[in-house]
Amino acid sequence: MKRELKLFLGPNHPGMHGNFSVHLYVDGDIVEKARPLPGMLHRGFEKLMERRLWMNNLALIPRICVPEPDINEMVYAMGIETLAKIEVPERAHWIRMLILEMARVAIHMMSFGGIGGPTGLYTGPNWAISDRDLILDIFEAITGARIYHMYIVPGGVRKDLPDGIEKKIEKLMDDIERRLPEYEDLILRNPVMEKRLKAAAPLSAEVCWELGVTGIGLRSTTGEPYDIRKVEPYARYDQVEFDVPVHKGVSYAYDRLSMKFEEIKQSIRIIRQVLDKMPKEGPIRAKISRGSALRWRVPKGQVYSHVESSRGDYGYFIVSDGENKPYRIAVRGASYPQGLLGIEKYLPGTRLEDVAIWLDTMGVCSPEIDR
Amino acid sequence: MNSMNDIINDLKNKFNPINVDVVNERQFAIDVENEELHTILAYLKAQGWRQLTLLTCIDWIKENKFQLVYIIYNWENPITINVRTKIERDNPKFRTIVSIYPGAEFYERDVHEFFGVEFEGNERSTKPLFLELWDDIPPLRKDFDPLAYSKKKFDVRDYKVDFIPKEGEAE
Amino acid sequence: MALNENEKINEIDVNELDCRDTKTFWEKFGNIFRSKSLWMLHYCTGCGAIELPPTMTSRFDMERFGMGPMATPRQADVLLITGYLSVKTLRRVIYTYEQMQTPKYVVGFGSCTLNGGIYYDSYAVISRLDYYIPVDLYIAGCMPRPEAVMNGFRTLLDMINKGEAKGWKRYLKYNDWYKRNQIRALGEVYVKDEFHE
Repeated sequence: MKRELKLFLGPNHPGMHGNFSVHLYVDGDIVEKARPLPGMLHRGFEKLMERRLWMNNLALIPRICVPEPDINEMVYAMGIETLAKIEVPERAHWIRMLILEMARVAIHMMSFGGIGGPTGLYTGPNWAISDRDLILDIFEAITGARIYHMYIVPGGVRKDLPDGIEKKIEKLMDDIERRLPEYEDLILRNPVMEKRLKAAAPLSAEVCWELGVTGIGLRSTTGEPYDIRKVEPYARYDQVEFDVPVHKGVSYAYDRLSMKFEEIKQSIRIIRQVLDKMPKEGPIRAKISRGSALRWRVPKGQVYSHVESSRGDYGYFIVSDGENKPYRIAVRGASYPQGLLGIEKYLPGTRLEDVAIWLDTMGVCSPEIDR
Repeated sequence: MNSMNDIINDLKNKFNPINVDVVNERQFAIDVENEELHTILAYLKAQGWRQLTLLTCIDWIKENKFQLVYIIYNWENPITINVRTKIERDNPKFRTIVSIYPGAEFYERDVHEFFGVEFEGNERSTKPLFLELWDDIPPLRKDFDPLAYSKKKFDVRDYKVDFIPKEGEAE
Repeated sequence: MALNENEKINEIDVNELDCRDTKTFWEKFGNIFRSKSLWMLHYCTGCGAIELPPTMTSRFDMERFGMGPMATPRQADVLLITGYLSVKTLRRVIYTYEQMQTPKYVVGFGSCTLNGGIYYDSYAVISRLDYYIPVDLYIAGCMPRPEAVMNGFRTLLDMINKGEAKGWKRYLKYNDWYKRNQIRALGEVYVKDEFHE
């Protein structure tokens, strides 16, 4: 006999990522129906940005994606630079890459270690989050803030790197790299985790194309390096060498997790090259307007600018009508497809205890879905 | 058919776009009539633009029009195409593209929620998604004032000093 | 409840209220022990939640001060409102708060809970938390650093020890006032499930 049970997973649930809810019908422990319930983090950013000046928006945009704020600053700056045809100084490009890659290491550490949350391996988060914190210390030294940096501005970066930070970054990267084998032993080579994750949360290429999943999800099924850093290099990603980890065929939670781990290594590789190839001196910001930045007007136009975030293609659609405020900015959260339609269509069939793993390894980030 | 000019010429030969805007070397925008939008999207999808990146809407209140923007992306040939069309602002309705891009379902709900555009054929497009018990006009329309709504619903804390700059003071 | 649009919320002065009149010897005695260990409800209501994992894990480690995370509201003592609250979350927060057992404490975290912060003009975010649930302590900043969070918690522990954290008594005593404010902002405090068509 079938007995269905209605279950609310979230928003107050330790397995949920952020303030997000999934309502489920379960039969035994198999999910029969699932409905996402977003909107708990909705702040109406798209409306608020229309009410603020182009420069004032710099304070608002990092808050759209909480765990990885720098990509927001980057897409906003890139969009405006396209519209206003601003040339960014060479050194600023490299500093931006440095910030973006350190942010990528930080978020991947958090989510790689964070898999310990849904699986019950609490050593993982304890190690990874405190190691991530050391990266935040570097951010604090460069930008003055731990989480929301407001550092990448249209035309370049806000201020130059402090003296001697390169040494510190290099040392930290060495430290993290030395720690990586321990993480591998703890999580990837842990027999319990292998058993738990190797058959959980399958994803196929057809599903990716149907939903529009990008990032690790798409790369883990198609076997192609579909990474915007490779396909459409922004900043100076065409001048550094790095590999994009890929996997072909149906991917499981374990595959995607090990790809995250590989991406940490690649990001460290990029950071080392950036420190090596970066011009040591030079301007860091182009002049964007003749008068005060508050009176600054961006020329008329529409542009979609996007970067590769840790979860995939992340971008802003920016519309300017030549005024001192944006006419409209639409945010494309990278986890929008898998976080809404994906949950509804492809969560049914998984077991209840795998739901949190599904959400974790698909990279569902609720603040960017809700905006 | 690799460079962007070839694609634009090809689209101009096969369809009757109103206008083509080149944004930069990897992106262009194309304005089409309402009737042609679905055929052009289906054509481009067959050509390799397999990913619907974003579906959004712009409120041109002075023209009394909504502009729907479909941003599609091709991973093999990295060119972003913004397919745009304008619909009437009073009683806005449009046909869904779920049969072409199934991922559009929630984007259409999103646009309905924030602009009030109804998508025929997507039967759930009128269901609330982010907002719960919303009691005003759709919030991203230009004639909606969030500050007035916020003051009405959620009383602000009174301060003796006014921290918030008045309209135009920042200038 | 019909509400006049221009009507302001008439403030109650939280400092004037004395809810201590029931304070017996055993309550004072209990307060001392309550202030030694607290379970914090791990509900990430807003973006400030990103600073909680560093606070809880091994670098800052708030457990050494006698604070630990707790998954269920029924066993938790402290409700931490980490940052802005959208109206949709506020409904869930009120549910959660009412499920918690007394004595219970609320900490407002970040400037958005004080006056709306950067979201002062947002249509979806409330401006002031203490109209809806009683707040014992605010930690200012956007967002507060882990040290500030722990410092705030130390202050809360001291307040509990001295019997000053009495927001839950205020919620019982002035329940009508809180309920009225909640209805005004939310329309109704009722959480439906998504299958309800």
